[in-house]
Amino acid sequence: MAMQKQYYRRKKVCKFCVERIDNINYKDVKLLSQFVPERAKIMPRRISGVCTPHQRLLSAAIKKARSIALLPYATE
Amino acid sequence: MPNYEIMYIVNPNVVEEEIDKINGQVDSVITHGGGKVGKVEKLGKRRLAYLVKKFREGSYVLFTVEASGAVVHEVERRLRVMDQVIKYLTVRMDEDSKRLDKIKAHREKRAAHRGSRRAEGGDRRGHAQQAEQMPEE
Repeated sequence: MAMQKQYYRRKKVCKFCVERIDNINYKDVKLLSQFVPERAKIMPRRISGVCTPHQRLLSAAIKKARSIALLPYATE
Repeated sequence: MPNYEIMYIVNPNVVEEEIDKINGQVDSVITHGGGKVGKVEKLGKRRLAYLVKKFREGSYVLFTVEASGAVVHEVERRLRVMDQVIKYLTVRMDEDSKRLDKIKAHREKRAAHRGSRRAEGGDRRGHAQQAEQMPEE
Protein backbone atom coordinates (compact mmCIF):
# COMPACT_ATOMS: atom_id res chain seq x y z
CA MET A 1 0.00 0.00 0.00
CA ALA A 2 1.18 3.45 -0.81
CA MET A 3 2.15 5.70 2.05
CA GLN A 4 -0.20 8.56 2.61
CA LYS A 5 1.36 11.86 1.72
CA GLN A 6 1.94 13.93 4.83
CA TYR A 7 2.13 17.27 3.15
CA TYR A 8 -0.50 18.95 1.08
CA ARG A 9 0.49 20.07 -2.35
CA ARG A 10 -1.60 22.92 -3.65
CA LYS A 11 -3.12 22.11 -6.98
CA LYS A 12 -1.69 24.29 -9.72
CA VAL A 13 -4.19 26.20 -11.77
CA CYS A 14 -3.90 27.81 -15.14
CA LYS A 15 -3.37 31.53 -14.68
CA PHE A 16 -5.12 32.32 -17.96
CA CYS A 17 -8.21 30.29 -17.11
CA VAL A 18 -8.50 31.69 -13.59
CA GLU A 19 -7.98 35.32 -14.50
CA ARG A 20 -9.93 34.94 -17.75
CA ILE A 21 -7.11 36.21 -19.89
CA ASP A 22 -8.04 35.27 -23.45
CA ASN A 23 -5.78 37.56 -25.32
CA ILE A 24 -2.20 36.34 -25.11
CA ASN A 25 -0.49 38.99 -27.19
CA TYR A 26 3.15 39.02 -28.22
CA LYS A 27 3.44 42.71 -27.24
CA ASP A 28 2.48 42.10 -23.62
CA VAL A 29 6.01 41.67 -22.32
CA LYS A 30 4.98 41.99 -18.69
CA LEU A 31 2.65 39.01 -18.97
CA LEU A 32 4.95 36.87 -21.10
CA SER A 33 8.04 37.47 -18.99
CA GLN A 34 6.32 35.70 -16.10
CA PHE A 35 6.71 32.52 -18.12
CA VAL A 36 10.32 32.91 -19.17
CA PRO A 37 12.66 32.28 -16.25
CA GLU A 38 16.30 33.42 -16.07
CA ARG A 39 17.68 31.31 -18.87
CA ALA A 40 14.94 32.71 -21.13
CA LYS A 41 13.52 29.28 -21.83
CA ILE A 42 9.76 28.83 -21.96
CA MET A 43 8.49 27.56 -18.65
CA PRO A 44 7.07 24.02 -18.96
CA ARG A 45 3.47 23.33 -18.12
CA ARG A 46 4.34 20.96 -15.31
CA ILE A 47 5.88 23.90 -13.42
CA SER A 48 3.63 26.80 -14.36
CA GLY A 49 0.39 24.79 -14.35
CA VAL A 50 -0.90 26.45 -17.51
CA CYS A 51 -3.46 24.34 -19.38
CA THR A 52 -2.60 22.88 -22.79
CA PRO A 53 -4.60 25.26 -25.04
CA HIS A 54 -3.23 28.29 -23.23
CA GLN A 55 0.31 26.96 -23.18
CA ARG A 56 0.10 26.60 -26.95
CA LEU A 57 -0.99 30.22 -27.37
CA LEU A 58 1.57 31.35 -24.83
CA SER A 59 4.52 29.66 -26.48
CA ALA A 60 3.50 31.06 -29.88
CA ALA A 61 3.31 34.56 -28.38
CA ILE A 62 6.70 34.19 -26.70
CA LYS A 63 8.28 33.09 -29.96
CA LYS A 64 6.83 36.10 -31.76
CA ALA A 65 8.09 38.41 -29.02
CA ARG A 66 11.54 36.87 -29.34
CA SER A 67 11.62 37.46 -33.03
CA ILE A 68 11.10 41.23 -32.59
CA ALA A 69 13.63 41.44 -29.70
CA LEU A 70 11.08 42.03 -26.94
CA LEU A 71 12.20 38.83 -25.23
CA PRO A 72 15.59 37.14 -25.38
CA TYR A 73 16.31 33.83 -27.08
CA ALA A 74 18.93 33.12 -24.44
CA THR A 75 20.56 35.16 -21.73
CA GLU A 76 23.98 36.56 -22.51
CA MET B 1 -9.26 41.67 -46.30
CA PRO B 2 -7.14 40.31 -43.51
CA ASN B 3 -5.75 42.42 -40.71
CA TYR B 4 -2.08 42.57 -40.00
CA GLU B 5 0.19 44.16 -37.48
CA ILE B 6 3.51 45.27 -38.84
CA MET B 7 6.09 46.10 -36.23
CA TYR B 8 9.57 47.29 -36.97
CA ILE B 9 12.59 48.54 -35.12
CA VAL B 10 14.46 51.59 -36.37
CA ASN B 11 18.08 52.39 -35.66
CA PRO B 12 18.17 54.25 -32.28
CA ASN B 13 20.40 57.04 -33.62
CA VAL B 14 17.81 58.08 -36.17
CA VAL B 15 15.94 61.28 -35.32
CA GLU B 16 12.19 61.55 -34.94
CA GLU B 17 11.63 63.23 -38.33
CA GLU B 18 13.47 60.44 -40.11
CA ILE B 19 11.20 57.87 -38.45
CA ASP B 20 8.17 59.84 -39.60
CA LYS B 21 9.58 59.74 -43.12
CA ILE B 22 9.92 55.94 -42.98
CA ASN B 23 6.39 55.69 -41.63
CA GLY B 24 5.18 57.86 -44.50
CA GLN B 25 6.84 55.57 -47.02
CA VAL B 26 5.27 52.48 -45.49
CA ASP B 27 1.92 54.24 -45.38
CA SER B 28 2.07 55.15 -49.06
CA VAL B 29 3.03 51.60 -50.08
CA ILE B 30 -0.04 50.27 -48.27
CA THR B 31 -2.52 52.84 -49.54
CA HIS B 32 -1.19 52.55 -53.11
CA GLY B 33 -1.68 48.82 -52.96
CA GLY B 34 -5.33 49.25 -52.01
CA GLY B 35 -4.93 48.63 -48.30
CA LYS B 36 -6.06 50.64 -45.31
CA VAL B 37 -3.85 51.87 -42.49
CA GLY B 38 -5.64 51.60 -39.18
CA LYS B 39 -3.25 52.87 -36.56
CA VAL B 40 0.35 54.03 -36.49
CA GLU B 41 1.92 53.90 -33.08
CA LYS B 42 5.39 55.00 -32.16
CA LEU B 43 6.26 52.95 -29.14
CA GLY B 44 9.43 54.91 -28.51
CA LYS B 45 12.92 53.79 -27.68
CA ARG B 46 13.21 50.45 -25.94
CA ARG B 47 16.07 48.27 -24.84
CA LEU B 48 16.37 45.25 -27.10
CA ALA B 49 16.40 41.81 -25.53
CA TYR B 50 19.48 40.93 -27.55
CA LEU B 51 21.90 42.63 -29.93
CA VAL B 52 20.46 43.38 -33.35
CA LYS B 53 23.05 44.58 -35.85
CA LYS B 54 25.18 45.59 -32.87
CA PHE B 55 22.48 47.83 -31.41
CA ARG B 56 21.31 47.54 -27.83
CA GLU B 57 18.37 49.89 -28.27
CA GLY B 58 15.82 50.58 -30.92
CA SER B 59 12.80 52.71 -31.73
CA TYR B 60 9.71 50.58 -32.15
CA VAL B 61 6.92 51.42 -34.58
CA LEU B 62 3.64 49.54 -34.84
CA PHE B 63 1.29 49.63 -37.83
CA THR B 64 -2.20 48.17 -37.79
CA VAL B 65 -3.11 47.44 -41.37
CA GLU B 66 -5.94 46.03 -43.41
CA ALA B 67 -4.46 44.84 -46.67
CA SER B 68 -3.99 41.87 -48.94
CA GLY B 69 -1.07 39.50 -48.58
CA ALA B 70 0.66 40.87 -51.66
CA VAL B 71 0.74 44.40 -50.19
CA VAL B 72 2.19 43.13 -46.93
CA HIS B 73 4.77 41.21 -48.89
CA GLU B 74 5.76 44.40 -50.68
CA VAL B 75 6.00 46.31 -47.38
CA GLU B 76 8.26 43.62 -45.99
CA ARG B 77 10.48 43.82 -49.05
CA ARG B 78 10.77 47.60 -48.64
CA LEU B 79 11.57 47.28 -44.95
CA ARG B 80 14.28 44.78 -45.72
CA VAL B 81 15.90 47.22 -48.08
CA MET B 82 15.81 50.22 -45.73
CA ASP B 83 19.07 50.66 -43.86
CA GLN B 84 17.50 52.35 -40.87
CA VAL B 85 15.12 49.49 -40.16
CA ILE B 86 17.02 46.86 -38.23
CA LYS B 87 14.22 44.35 -37.67
CA TYR B 88 10.58 43.82 -38.56
CA LEU B 89 7.74 41.43 -37.81
CA THR B 90 4.34 40.98 -39.42
CA VAL B 91 1.58 39.18 -37.58
CA ARG B 92 -1.84 38.33 -38.92
CA MET B 93 -4.48 39.35 -36.40
CA ASP B 94 -7.93 38.65 -37.81
CA GLU B 95 -7.99 34.93 -37.01
CA ASP B 96 -6.92 35.68 -33.46
CA SER B 97 -9.53 38.36 -32.96
CA LYS B 98 -12.19 36.08 -34.44
CA ARG B 99 -11.31 33.49 -31.83
CA LEU B 100 -11.49 36.12 -29.08
CA ASP B 101 -14.92 37.29 -30.23
CA LYS B 102 -16.15 33.72 -30.18
CA ILE B 103 -14.94 33.19 -26.62
CA LYS B 104 -16.50 36.47 -25.55
CA ALA B 105 -19.85 35.63 -27.17
CA HIS B 106 -19.79 32.20 -25.59
CA ARG B 107 -19.11 33.66 -22.17
CA GLU B 108 -21.92 36.20 -22.47
CA LYS B 109 -24.33 33.51 -23.59
CA ARG B 110 -23.41 31.38 -20.61
CA ALA B 111 -23.79 34.29 -18.20
CA ALA B 112 -27.22 35.09 -19.60
CA HIS B 113 -28.22 31.45 -19.44
CA ARG B 114 -27.13 31.12 -15.83
CA GLY B 115 -29.09 34.22 -14.88
CA SER B 116 -32.30 32.96 -16.45
CA ARG B 117 -31.97 29.54 -14.85
CA ARG B 118 -31.63 31.04 -11.41
CA ALA B 119 -34.74 33.14 -11.99
CA GLU B 120 -36.80 30.10 -13.02
CA GLY B 121 -35.80 28.25 -9.89
CA GLY B 122 -36.41 24.60 -9.30
CA ASP B 123 -36.30 23.43 -12.92
CA ARG B 124 -33.05 21.33 -13.40
CA ARG B 125 -32.22 21.66 -9.71
CA GLY B 126 -29.33 19.20 -9.75
CA HIS B 127 -27.49 21.23 -12.33
CA ALA B 128 -28.16 24.51 -10.63
CA GLN B 129 -26.84 23.24 -7.33
CA GLN B 130 -23.70 21.97 -8.91
CA ALA B 131 -23.09 25.30 -10.56
CA GLU B 132 -23.59 27.13 -7.30
CA GLN B 133 -21.20 24.92 -5.44
CA MET B 134 -18.40 25.52 -7.90
CA PRO B 135 -17.21 28.93 -6.67
CA GLU B 136 -16.76 27.70 -3.10
CA GLU B 137 -13.96 25.37 -4.09
